[in-house]
This record gives sequence, structure tokens and C-alpha cells, in this order.
Amino acid sequence: MTVPVTWQDVAALLPEFFLVVWASALLLLDVFWIREKRTTAWLSALGFVVALVLAVGQMGRAPLLAFRGMVIADAFSVFLVALFALSGLVGILLAQDYLARNGIERGEFYVLLMFSVVGMMLMARVADLVMIFLALELFSLPLYVMTGFARPRADSEEAALKYFLLGAFASGFMAFGIALVYGATSTTSLPHMVDVIQAGEADLALLTAGAALVLTGLGFKIATVPFHMWTPDVYHGAPSPVSGFMAATAKMAGFAALLRLFVLVFPVVADLTPVLWALAALSMVLGNVAAIAQRNIKRLLAYSSIAHAGYMLSAAVAFADPHLGPQAVAAILFYLVAYVLATFGAWGVVILLERRIGQEGLLLEDYAGLSRQYPGLAAAMAVFMLSFIGVPPTLGFFGKFYLFRVVLDAGFVGLALIGVLTSLVSAYYYLRVVMLMYMKPGEPIVRREPRVQATVLAAAALTLFLGLTAASSLYAWATEAILRFG
Amino acid sequence: MVPTSFYIFLAALLFTIGAVAVLVRRNTLIIYMAVELMLNSANLAFVAFARQFGDISGQLFVFFVITIAAAEVAVGLALIVTIFHTKHSVDIDAMHELKG
Amino acid sequence: MVAYWIFALVSLLMVLAALVAVTNRNLVRATMGLVLVLFGNAVLFVLLEAYFLAVAQVIIYIGAIAILIVFAIMLTRHVGDAWGPAFHRAWAWAVVVAGGLAVGLLFWIAHWPAADGKAKSPVDPQYTKLLGKALVAPDGYVIPFEVASALLLAALIGAIYVAWGGRRVKGPYPQRSEEKEA
Repeated sequence: MTVPVTWQDVAALLPEFFLVVWASALLLLDVFWIREKRTTAWLSALGFVVALVLAVGQMGRAPLLAFRGMVIADAFSVFLVALFALSGLVGILLAQDYLARNGIERGEFYVLLMFSVVGMMLMARVADLVMIFLALELFSLPLYVMTGFARPRADSEEAALKYFLLGAFASGFMAFGIALVYGATSTTSLPHMVDVIQAGEADLALLTAGAALVLTGLGFKIATVPFHMWTPDVYHGAPSPVSGFMAATAKMAGFAALLRLFVLVFPVVADLTPVLWALAALSMVLGNVAAIAQRNIKRLLAYSSIAHAGYMLSAAVAFADPHLGPQAVAAILFYLVAYVLATFGAWGVVILLERRIGQEGLLLEDYAGLSRQYPGLAAAMAVFMLSFIGVPPTLGFFGKFYLFRVVLDAGFVGLALIGVLTSLVSAYYYLRVVMLMYMKPGEPIVRREPRVQATVLAAAALTLFLGLTAASSLYAWATEAILRFG
Repeated sequence: MVPTSFYIFLAALLFTIGAVAVLVRRNTLIIYMAVELMLNSANLAFVAFARQFGDISGQLFVFFVITIAAAEVAVGLALIVTIFHTKHSVDIDAMHELKG
Repeated sequence: MVAYWIFALVSLLMVLAALVAVTNRNLVRATMGLVLVLFGNAVLFVLLEAYFLAVAQVIIYIGAIAILIVFAIMLTRHVGDAWGPAFHRAWAWAVVVAGGLAVGLLFWIAHWPAADGKAKSPVDPQYTKLLGKALVAPDGYVIPFEVASALLLAALIGAIYVAWGGRRVKGPYPQRSEEKEA
């Protein structure tokens, strides 16, 4: 007996369906009709706007398992899908001028970016292990290519190859981990798995081993220590808009799947709590300490992204606690919003100052004197740095506040302490950027690219404005984004 | 019937051989082959479990793993061949453009 | 009993071939080792009564993926010869890590009681039909199937771009940036 597809099923995945169709159509249009690459960029941006509208239209609906439990449209996934659509839009705004000025603007870039975003959206929707694996690959493969988009430049190619090899390695871990989880529970469907585990029919030893391997695979994607080795090189070698896009969204996608799996399905493998604890602590310490020594802004932001993965992971350590799980999810979602805004903004500034692709304008010294000539841009960068540190009243402060509150409630005082101390350490290198911009004389060369400038200023305004006025309502919204299976 | 655990032993062994090779070998093509080895061991485990449970979802998973392996090989080998044109080497230690 | 012998033989061969694949310094020989492992996997699929997958394994893995690897070896040819040390400098450290991984995995599995090898139900004689239907049924795997097709399309575009796309770009890399600067 086959059950026909209902409109409800399709409606649950509407933003993704739309984007896939739009991207495929754009691919053909780009080859046969579109003369100006700029048109392709605008059309793909339009696609993301429509997807965003569709995602917002899904808000407030009852959670729905669609396509025989392959995917789910719950508040958590809708929250993230909307965020991904917005990120895709920002990704295009940041990339277009950069690609054009470096002579690598090609229609494929936008199509690949759209496919990548679809994969990320599906990462937030997964209700079956098959979907996790496929969505992970769907967002990763285009990212490998986008990393190498500045070919035949050696650094871009090298970054792409490193990213690819480590990514493929990670998917090996994912595949074997999923196989073990399947062996432990005899199902790949996550809702069924919850039933099997609650009935006590799962094999715990095997499940723990499988969960650990899956954690390893996802650890590569969110770049936690010790699976972070690729991050500085890849963010350094990739074209800057791609690095910014990756830093913001790949981490979100990894956390989406990680939270769904660990909070909803794996609380039973509480044995892994110390492992998560160690990963979080190591990421916070190593990420921040290594960032101090960096002179290149791209590498600095790469190490800082490792540290931020550590902060978010520290809240995920509370996954095994049924009462704190939802709170941890809300805190991490909130932090993701703060992190994504500041990340896109900071990378936007990097794009504006980068003179020749991957060569000039990337050192910290190149930021000296920015405040004299471009006070708006310098102020925006300062806001992002302060938000990264967690200084009130920026959004980053509230993000860290909610994160550490969960960590403390869960009783991990040591971890919270490490978090606070490493935040203090991080102030050193973030403030050095601010100091260079405001205290040191210099003649920075900045591009006039209105789209990127507007994005940067908007991100700064949101970081400051949301922090000042709407932090608690945003947190309330994140709290409603509960993970559910029907 | 050979017990399922035998198959899982074998799969774990192959997985480990692949994982070690990724970490120690320097030639990117060999590293890629080692990744294929890891994916294959996962396939073996899936099929063995699927038989034990009398359930086809494990076998269906293998289809998708094979698809992904095919997609990865296309992108990965294109990257390896391209980088060879730039650097005349596929050795991982020759990749030293990016230092911090 | 025959199944045991086949399993013992094939698994031994697979482990040896896998070792050849990852240790041999001649790339072509290494690939042959990999092909042997892939083929052994197909044999085990038959033993596990996954006949269709066994065929798919041979056609796709050996017929397509391994061949592509051979192509890549030929395109990067003089690297096929032994050159420089075969192992990374930090190999000993990695062996320790991976050894721990192996011991852990094997320990876990050794303490796993459920594997008594009793199949719950015999394989459905129409299982290929079931597989095919499940792949495209709306209440089956149609969404993963479609995602896989999107994935293949993205991989195709990406591979074409990487291998071909920029060949038209000649000369020192950033050409247009100079004009726009200043």
C-alpha cells in the first residue's frame, strides 16, 4: 500500500522545494539566456527572499512529520530554515562584488550556494538518519567547490582539497557511526528510535559507540577541537565571502543536527557527557589561545570561530538532562543568531579591506587608522568585536549570559568558569583590532561596495539594537523553538 | 549462517585500517582511497544489521552511501587533478601555501 | 558451514587487500588492493542475501569509482612512482590514536550480546521489487532519493567547474582587480 503525497507533506518542505527548483532553473537560465552574471546573483537573492517568506509562513504551525517521517517541520526547524534563507541572501550580497572584482564571478557559484543552503535547511529538518547523511553531504559538497572557487590560485585550491579530504574523512565517521546506531536500535527513523530506546530495547554499548562516531563526524563540521585542524587553513585560503558564509552557516547546520540527535534521541547515552565537556573546554581554550598569535585577520576569525563552537558546545553538555535540554537548545539558538550576525558583519569588513584576493589588506596592521577615514565601518567592526567578546549591551553578551546560565544550572561550574576566563583572554585579541582601528594612524584602503557596506551596517545595527531592546523577546522566541517529533 | 558480530568485527577492522591510513599517509589519492575503505566498512555493517533485523532500511541506506561516494569521487578527484596541474604534486606536505 | 569458510577466506583476503591499499607505495597496486576490498564486500553482500546491492556494488564501486581513481592516477602520473617518504612525520602518534580507536571499537563489539546471528525473518523472495518500490514511494524514500539527485547535480556542476571552468582565465590571476583599484 502506498500512501499518496498530500499537500501537507509538500507544505512542510516548501522552502526547500522552491529553492531546489529555483536553483535548477537558474542553472539553465544562466547557461542559455542570462548575459550578465549580475542578473543571476539578483535572481538567486530573490529566490532566498521567497524562501524566507515561505519559511516565515510556516511559523506557528503544529509540528508535522512529513514523507513517512523522513523530515519534520517543527518550531526548531522553521526557526533555523528562516535563518538559513536569510544567511543565503547575505552570502550572495557579500559575494557578488568580491567575485566580480576578482574575475571569478560565475553563475555556478550562486547555484552551488543555493544547493548548499538547501542541504543546511534539511539538516534542521532531519527525522531520519538517512536524511542527516544526505543533507550533510548536500551542504558540504558545494562548500568544497566554493572554497576552491578562486582556482587556479594555489591557496584556494589547497584550501578546497584540505576541506574536501577532512570532510570526506568526517563523512566516513558519520556513516560508520550511523551504521552502529542502526545496529543498536534496528531503525533509522529518529521517532522510532526514541520509542525503541524508551522501551529499553536498544543496545546501549553499541549506541554509545555509534553516537560517539556521529559526534566525531559533526565535530568536524562545527570545527571543535580536536577536529578543527582544517579550519584556519580553509578559512584562510577560501575566497573571503565563502569563508564568512561557511563560518556562519556550516556551524549552524552542524549544531542543528547535533542538537536534534543528542537532545531528542541520545539523552540515554549520558556516558558521553564528559566527552562533550572535554570537547567544549578544549575548543574554548585552544581556539582563543591560538587566536592571540594570529596576524592575519582571516586566521584570527577562524580560530575565534573554533572558540565560539566551544561556547555553544558547553551548553550542549547539558543534553542528557531532560529539564535542561530545551533550555540548552534555546540558549544555543540565541547564541547562533548573535554569532551569525557578528560573523557576517566581521567578514563583510574583511571583504571590504581585502585588496588583492588573498594577498593584501588581510593583516591586522591594515586596519590601523580605519576610524579616521571610515568611522561608520570602524564602529561596526568594533561592535562585532565587542559582541564576540560578550560585552554588554551587544547581542553577544546576552548570548553568553544565557549559555553560561544553562551550564551553571546543569552543575558544570568548572566549564562555566573556563568559558568566562577564556572570554577574558579573547578580549585581548578582539580589542587589539579595535585599538588598531582607533589608536594607530594608518591609511587603510577600503572598497566602496554599497551592498557589502549596507550588509555590514545592518548587521552592526541589529547586533546593537537587538541587544539593547529585544534580547529577552528574542530569547523567548528561541525558547518556543522546541525540538519535537510530532 | 555466519553471525552478525563477525561481519561487524570485519567492518570495524576495515574502518580502522582506513582511518589510520587517512592520518598517516601523505599521498592525497591514497588518503581518498582510505576514505572509500571507511565508507565501505559502513556499508558492510549496514547490510549485516539489515539481515539480522530482516529490515530493508539498512540496505536502502547503502544505496545512498554509494550515491554519495560517487558524488564525492567526482568532486574530490577533480580537485586532486586540478591541484596537480598547479603544484605538480599530490603530496599533502606539498600543501604549504597556508601558514599562519 | 560453507558460508563460514567463504566468510573466513573473503574476510582474510579483504583485510590483506586493505593493508595493501593503504601501505603500498605504488598507486596502481594500491588501487588494485582497494578493488579487491570492494569486490570482497560484494561477495559478503551475497552471503548476506543482499543480491541486488552486491551487483550495484560491483557496477558502481568497481565499475565507476575505482576506474575514476585509476584515471586520476594516470592524470597525475609521475606521482605514481615512489617519491619521498610514504608516511607523514607524525605517523607514530596517529598509530597510537587509531590503535585506541580500534581497541575501543572491538571491545564494544565483543561485549555485544545481541549478535547471535539469528535472522528474524527470511529474506523476502521479492526483495528487489521491495527495494525499488521503497526508493520511489512517497511513503518511502522519495525525499532522500530526490535529495540524492540534487546532490549529484551539485557535485556534477562543482566537478565541471573545478576541472574545466577556469581554464579560460589566462595570465596572472587577478586581472580585473588592478584596473578597478586606486
